[in-house]
Amino acid sequence: MLVHLQGPWNPLLGRLTLQQIPYENPILLGTFIFAAILGVIVLGATTRYGKWGYVWREWLTTVDHKKIGVMYCLVGLVMLFRGFIDALMIRTQQAIAIGPNSPGALGAVHGYLTPFHVGQIYTAHGLIMVVFAATPLLVGIMNIIVPLQIGARDMAYPYLNALGLWLTTAGGALVMLSLFVGNFAHGGWYGFVPYFELPYSPGVGVDYWMWAFQLSVLGTTMGSINLIATIVKMRAPGMTWMRMPIFTWASLSTNLIALTSFPVLMVALGLLGMDRYLGTHFYTAGMGGNLMLYNDLFWIWGHPEVYFLILPAFGMMSEIIPTFSEKTLFGYATMVIASFAIGGVSWGVWLHHFFTMAAAPNVNSFYSITTMLVGIPTGVKVFNWIFTMYRGRVRYELPMLWALLALFLLLVGGMTGMMNAFASNDYMWHNGLFVVAHFHMMVLLIAASVFGAVEYWFPKVFGFKLEQKWGKWFFWFMVLGTGWVFVPMFFLGMAGMTRRLDYIPYTQWAPYLHITLVGMAFYVVAVLFFVAHLYVSLRDREKNRVGADAWGTSRNLEWMTHSPVPAYNFAFIPHVNARDEWAWRKENGIAELHAGDYEDIHMPKNTGIPLFLGLLSMGLAFALVWRIWWLALLCLVLMVALIIIRSFDRDTDTTIPAREVERVERAARDGSSGSVPPAGVLGDAVIATSTVRSGSGGIGGNTTSPRPSWAPRNR
Amino acid sequence: MSASTTQKIDPNRLTLWERHYPGHDMISTRTFGFWLYMLTDAMVYAALFASLGVLSHAVNLAGGPPPSAIINPVYAYGETITLFLSVLAYGYSMVALKSGSRGGVVGGMFVSMLLGVVFLAIAATDMGHLFAQGVVPETSGFLSIFFTILIYHALHIVVGVVWMLVMIAQIARDGFSANVVYRLINLRLFWHFQAVIWVFVFTFVYLQGMVA
Amino acid sequence: MFIKNKRSKTWPRLVLPLALLTLGGCSRSGLFLLEPEGLISQTFYHYFMLDVGIMLLIIIPTVVLTIWAMWRYRKGGNGSYHPQWSHSYAIEAVVWGIPLLTVGVLSYLSVKAIYDVNPYNPGVIAKAQQAAGGDPVEVDVIATDWRWLFIYPQQHIASVDELVVPVGTPVRFRLTSTSVVNDFIIPQLVGMIDVMPGMRTKQALVADKAGTYVGYSADYSGAGLSWMHFQTKAVSPAQFEQWVQSAQQSPQHLSYAGFNRFARPYIAVGGDQQIFGQVQPDLFDQVVGEVMRGKVWPTPMAMTENMVNYMKKQRAEQKAGDY
Repeated sequence: MLVHLQGPWNPLLGRLTLQQIPYENPILLGTFIFAAILGVIVLGATTRYGKWGYVWREWLTTVDHKKIGVMYCLVGLVMLFRGFIDALMIRTQQAIAIGPNSPGALGAVHGYLTPFHVGQIYTAHGLIMVVFAATPLLVGIMNIIVPLQIGARDMAYPYLNALGLWLTTAGGALVMLSLFVGNFAHGGWYGFVPYFELPYSPGVGVDYWMWAFQLSVLGTTMGSINLIATIVKMRAPGMTWMRMPIFTWASLSTNLIALTSFPVLMVALGLLGMDRYLGTHFYTAGMGGNLMLYNDLFWIWGHPEVYFLILPAFGMMSEIIPTFSEKTLFGYATMVIASFAIGGVSWGVWLHHFFTMAAAPNVNSFYSITTMLVGIPTGVKVFNWIFTMYRGRVRYELPMLWALLALFLLLVGGMTGMMNAFASNDYMWHNGLFVVAHFHMMVLLIAASVFGAVEYWFPKVFGFKLEQKWGKWFFWFMVLGTGWVFVPMFFLGMAGMTRRLDYIPYTQWAPYLHITLVGMAFYVVAVLFFVAHLYVSLRDREKNRVGADAWGTSRNLEWMTHSPVPAYNFAFIPHVNARDEWAWRKENGIAELHAGDYEDIHMPKNTGIPLFLGLLSMGLAFALVWRIWWLALLCLVLMVALIIIRSFDRDTDTTIPAREVERVERAARDGSSGSVPPAGVLGDAVIATSTVRSGSGGIGGNTTSPRPSWAPRNR
Repeated sequence: MSASTTQKIDPNRLTLWERHYPGHDMISTRTFGFWLYMLTDAMVYAALFASLGVLSHAVNLAGGPPPSAIINPVYAYGETITLFLSVLAYGYSMVALKSGSRGGVVGGMFVSMLLGVVFLAIAATDMGHLFAQGVVPETSGFLSIFFTILIYHALHIVVGVVWMLVMIAQIARDGFSANVVYRLINLRLFWHFQAVIWVFVFTFVYLQGMVA
Repeated sequence: MFIKNKRSKTWPRLVLPLALLTLGGCSRSGLFLLEPEGLISQTFYHYFMLDVGIMLLIIIPTVVLTIWAMWRYRKGGNGSYHPQWSHSYAIEAVVWGIPLLTVGVLSYLSVKAIYDVNPYNPGVIAKAQQAAGGDPVEVDVIATDWRWLFIYPQQHIASVDELVVPVGTPVRFRLTSTSVVNDFIIPQLVGMIDVMPGMRTKQALVADKAGTYVGYSADYSGAGLSWMHFQTKAVSPAQFEQWVQSAQQSPQHLSYAGFNRFARPYIAVGGDQQIFGQVQPDLFDQVVGEVMRGKVWPTPMAMTENMVNYMKKQRAEQKAGDY
C-alpha cells in the first residue's frame, strides 16, 4: 500500500542520507552557524548560572496559563523573526533578479537564490507568519488575559493548555529543523494540488510542511476548546454575558471559528497525506481524484482562519482605545454583534480564494456578495472606535499609537479587500501582488494590535511598563517600512505582477521593486529599535514598576489584581456588578483590592508530560517525514502510553496554603519593604533582587487599609 | 450602565469579593469541554462526508468497481447491530452508575467493549475480502474516500475500546471518584457519538452507494 | 467581422489619482492593468474605476473623521469630555446604514461585472459578436511544465510560447494542463482562468489594438514558473491569415507521441518559441483523456535542487530530442 518513492530508502533511516544535509549551501551553512552559536550561548548561560532547575520547574513543566501564554508569545516572536528574515530574502532576490541581463550567483540564473530555494523561503514565510507567529502571539495573549478578565484562577484545562503549547512549538521546531535536515515545501504556504502530490514534489519538503501544519492544527484546536470552556464555564460570579469584557467576547467568537474550522484543515491535510504516503487518489488529476476538493477543504478552513486571526486583534483595539480615550467603548452591544457577524460570515466566503477556477457566474456572484458583507460589521467596528475617541480625552501613549496604526491599516486593508471581493477585479489580479499587499495590510494590522496589546498588558504580566522612547522609534520605523514596502506593492499589483516569482521578466517594474527594498531597510532598522526597546525596558525596569492598575484608566477585571499577577491570579475572586467592573468601581470610589482573611487556594500541579508529548509528537512527525517507520511507531506507542499513564495519576492538584497567599499578597502590597515579591511570571529569578513599588500607576496600586468596610461577605 | 453610576453606590450593600469561593463545577466544565471536542470531530466527519459527496460521481470511479459492487449488506447489517447493542450495553452500565453499582458498571462496559471488538472483527473481515479481490484505496478516487471513512470510524472504535479498558482499571482502583465519573460520562458521549456517526456512514456510504 | 469598443474612449479620460500618479513616470510604465487594450480588460477597467470611486467616497471621509476625532479629543485639547457617553441610536443607525448601502451598491455592480466578463461566455463579447456576426477564432491551450502550447484546431497549426490573434475578432480558448494547475492571463487583454490538468476550462478575448502583449501563468506551478511567459501578437486579420499560411509551411509536426516528449519538464529560459505546421486533430482531447486516466509527467527530484546544473542537462537533452 505504500507508494513508490524517488531516491533511496532504507529501513533504519528511511529517506535520510548524508546528502540531505545542505552543507554546500553557504546561506544555510551561515544560518546553521548562527543558530548553533545562539543555542550554545542560551544553553551555556542556563548551565553557567545554574538555572536548569528553575527553567524546568517554572517554565517547562508549568500549567500556569500566564506562563504558558508568555511562552506562546516567545515562540511567536522567534518565529516572527525567522519569517522576517525570509521576507528580507524574497525582497532582495526580487530586487536583483529583474530582466534577462541581471546577474546570477550560487547556482541561480538570476539573483542569488534558485527557484527551489525561493519556493522554500516564501512557503516558510507564509506558513510561519500565519501559523507559527501570528497564531501563537494571539493565542498567547488570549491565554494570559482571558482568565484574568473573567476572574478565573486558571483555564478549564490547564494540562491541555500546556499540551497545546508544546504541540505548536513542536510544529515550529519542525519548520526550523527543515532548514538543516532536508528541505521545506516549495509551492506556497497553502499548498497546491496536484503540485504537492508526489510526482511534482518528490522530496521531503511537503511532508515537513504537512506535519508541522498538522501539529499546529492539533495545538490550536485544543487551545480553542480550552478557551471556550473557560469563558463559558469559569466566569466570576456576577459576570453575565453582557458584562463580559469586549476582548473576552472577541476571544469567544474567534475560538468558535477555530473550533469549527481547524478540523476541516486536518482533513484537507490528512487526505493529502494519504495521497503522498498510501497512494490514494483524493487530489490527483487522474484516477478519479478531484483537485478542487483540496482547494475547497483548505479554504473552508483558510478563510475563517483569517478572521480567527483578526477578531482578537479587533478585541485588543477595543480594549486599548477606550482605556486611552478615558471613556467607555462606544456601542458595546454592536461590537459584540459585529464580532459574531464576522465570525458567521467567514464560513460563507471561501470560494473567493479561487474566483478564477471557472465556477459559473452565479456562484461567483454569490461569493462576491457574501465577501462584501464582511465589510458591514467591519465598517461598524471602525466607526465605533472613532466614536469611542469622540468626546473622550485621547492619550497618545504607545499602546494607543499601535491601536490607531491598526485602525488606519484596517481602512486601507478594508478598502482593498472590498476591491478584491469585486470578482471582476479579482480575475485580473488574483494571485497578484495587489492581493499580497492587501492581506499584508491586514496581517500588519494584526501585528500592530499585537504590539499594542503587548505594550498594554506587559506591566500586568511582568510588573513594569516598557519604556517609551525606543518604543516610539520602533513604532515610527514600522510605519515608514510599511509605507515604503506596501505602497509600491499596490502599484506592482496594478502592473499585474504575480506572486512567487524568483525572476522578474519585465524591467519596467524595477523601480517599484527597488523602493520596496528601501522599505525593508526601514524594517531592519525597526527590528533593531525593537531590540533596544526591550533591552532598555529590562534594564530600567525598576523605574517603571507599576501597581495593579498600570495605566490608571483601564476598565476590566485583569487590573483588579497585583502586577505581576500572582500564580493564583486573585486572592479573592471578584464579584462582578457592572460592565467594565474596574472602571465602575473607580468611578464609585470603591476601587481597592481586598486584603486579609486569606484562604487556601487549590491549583493544578506542574507536570512534565505535556512537554514529553510535544517532544514525542515532534519525533513522530520527523519519523513520518523521513518515513522511518520504526521510529514513528515507537513515538506513537510511547505517546499513547504516556496519555494513559497520566490518566491514572491521582496527584494532579496542589494547594497554596493561606499563609503563603498572605505572604505573597503582603509582599506585593508592601513591596518597598524589600520582602519577597509575589511569584509572578518572571518568578524569583529576575525580580528577587528588586523591590516592588506600588502606587505609581493607579488607584488600585496602594491599598493600605487592612480591612475595608466593604470586605467580602460570605455568600 | 451609565444610568447605574449616576446614583450613589452603597458599598455595604454590594458584594465585591467572594470569600470561600467553591470554584467551578469540575464535572460540568469537563463535560462541556468534551462536547466541544465532539463538535470538532463532527466537523472532521462533515468534511469527510462532503468529500464523499464530491468523489461519488461516475468520473471518480476511474474504471474501478462502483459502490454497489463492493458493499456487502450482510456485513453492514452485522456491524450496525453489534454497534447498537454495544451502545445499549453502555447505557445499562450508566444506569448502574446512578445506583453506584461497581459490578453493574464494569459488567455493562465489558459487554460493550466485547461488542466493539466484534464490530472491529466484522469490519476487518469485510475489508479483508475486498483487499483480497484487489479492491484497495489506490484503485480510484471513490474507493479512497470510501475506505478512509470506514477506517476513520473504525479507529474511533479502537480508541473507545482502549478507553473502556482503561476505565475498567480505574474503576477497580479508584471506585467512582470525580475523575472517574466525568470520564465515564465523556466516554458515554463518545460511544453514543460513534453510533450516531455510524447512522451517517450507513446512510451515505452504504445505502446511497447501493442505490446509486 | 470587426468589433469596435466604444467604452475605451470615455474611461481613460476619467483617470483617478491612482492612475495619475503612474502617468508621471512614463506612459509604458509596465502597469499593465491600467493600460487595457482588449474588450474584457477594458470592461474590467470600467468597473474597477467605479469600484475605487465608490470606495474612496466612503474611505476619505472616514479618514478625515478619524483624524479630526484624534485631534479634537486629544488630552489637553478643547473637545468636550463625556466619559459615560457610549450609545446613540442615531449614530448606530448611520454606522450600520452607510456600510450596508455601500455594500448594496457594490454588490449590484459586482454581479453585473461578473456576467460581463464571465470567462465561459463573457457578456460583452457575446453582445459584440451578436452585433457584428462572423466566426470566432478558436485556440486550444495546453500548459505543460513550463511552456504554453497554442493549438489552432481550425488551421491545424500549433505554436509554442507565442499566441497570434487577429484584432477585433473574438478569440475563444479551451484550456487544459498536463501536470499541475496554471493560470492563464494576458493582463492587457483578458483576465485569469485556471488551467487544470484532466479538465477543460474556457476563456475568450477581443483585442482592440494591434501590438505585442505579454501573457504568463499566474498560479505557482514549479521551478520554471518565472519563465513561463508568452508573447501575444495582436495583428490585423489579413496579417493573421498571412501568419497562418507561413506557419503551415513549418516542417515540424506534432502528434501525441511527440507531445509526450514535448511535455517533459522544461524551463524555457531562452524564450524558445516554436511553430508546428501540422498537428494531430484531436490532440487536446487526447491529452485531457490521458491525464484523466492517470498519465503524469513527473518532476525529477534532481532538477529542483540546482538550476544551473539542470539547465545544462536540459540543453543537452534538447539538442538530442526532436518533437
